[in-house]
Amino acid sequence: MPDLPEKKVGLIACSGEDLAVGTVSRMAVLQVLERLRPQETVTLCLPLFLAGEERERAFARFYPTIAIDGCSKRCAARATEKYSAQPAASLVIDDLIAQKGLPEPHGLRQLDAAGQAVAQAVANALAQEVDRLLGHKQPADIEVEAEGPGSEVEPEGLVVATCACGSGIPVAQLQVNGHQVEALALPAILDQFREMGKLANNATAGELMDAVKLYNHVPDDEAAAWHEAVLREYARTITAAGPAGNAD
Amino acid sequence: MSEPKQTDNDRVLIIPCSGIGKAFGSVGREAAYLVLEELRPDDTATVCLSLLTMGDEESQQRVREQRSIAIDGCPKACARVNIEHAGAEPAAIFRVFDVFRAHKELRVKQVSDIGENGREMARILAEEVAVKVDELRGGKE
Repeated sequence: MPDLPEKKVGLIACSGEDLAVGTVSRMAVLQVLERLRPQETVTLCLPLFLAGEERERAFARFYPTIAIDGCSKRCAARATEKYSAQPAASLVIDDLIAQKGLPEPHGLRQLDAAGQAVAQAVANALAQEVDRLLGHKQPADIEVEAEGPGSEVEPEGLVVATCACGSGIPVAQLQVNGHQVEALALPAILDQFREMGKLANNATAGELMDAVKLYNHVPDDEAAAWHEAVLREYARTITAAGPAGNAD
Repeated sequence: MSEPKQTDNDRVLIIPCSGIGKAFGSVGREAAYLVLEELRPDDTATVCLSLLTMGDEESQQRVREQRSIAIDGCPKACARVNIEHAGAEPAAIFRVFDVFRAHKELRVKQVSDIGENGREMARILAEEVAVKVDELRGGKE
């Protein structure tokens, strides 16, 4: 397996600076990233879909992603779908408030008690959705109570949240049947095979395709064209970088 | 604390990056709210950056018609880039890193809790932004 980021669930919050529910989305996501599911989740700043590079836009094509929106404009869900891929799930905080009869949150910089309670409810819902997407058995009765403003004790094993920008998924463009397609993880896969000293031949192409299919959907009727394109790209990689390791 | 009103077209838009995975992003957001809620509540407003990313026409029009200040937490400069993508030019750009460079004793704790140092850094940045707001407002009147 190439050296790629571990498969986790991606969380994209709208972070809406102008709305209390935007702050709720941010606080809920941070709660999941740092406390509830630190090993299973990763995030990316939403505006980076536009400001970033192709590796950032590959985010939701690699990670099954949950979009967390404050309001019905659903910026997180729509941006994820527009720039990356359809989210695996989405949650609108205004809807959750209505469905569960939660109090209306207030505050932008600092959420009031109602806002903190809603953030906790959203975080708990997200943690359950993460478990579902990863196929984990949902642990019952683990919901965490909202913390009051005076709560200063950090839990054991606190993980500091970091975003995936700059460490995203390497992407290459391939010409397949006369049109350009995006191949997730291909640069890392090609490098790995080159370092193993694999020759650019049909046998290697078959192995390459096994790895490529782990990260990409290859339609059956395009499999042969992908095979050719990947082999061509591998030959180009070897020529550009020179062979490495022992030839098999 | 009342949320800032956003009806006056003369208000300067303060737009921080979303910075959800970077402590400096949280500092920038805190600095923006300090300006919006405490330092210049009558002179400033904000828009959701995610709306600009989505190409929301009303938000894009606001950044084209009103002067804006971008506050960015990392070199990706999402606030600045998204403002520019909306067809506007920020009147000023602030980077949290520049404050850190001038105050290296202020080590920020973490993204969800920037700690005392982070709040101090945000205060310094907010005061610089407030001065810029005054310049921009003075320049227009």
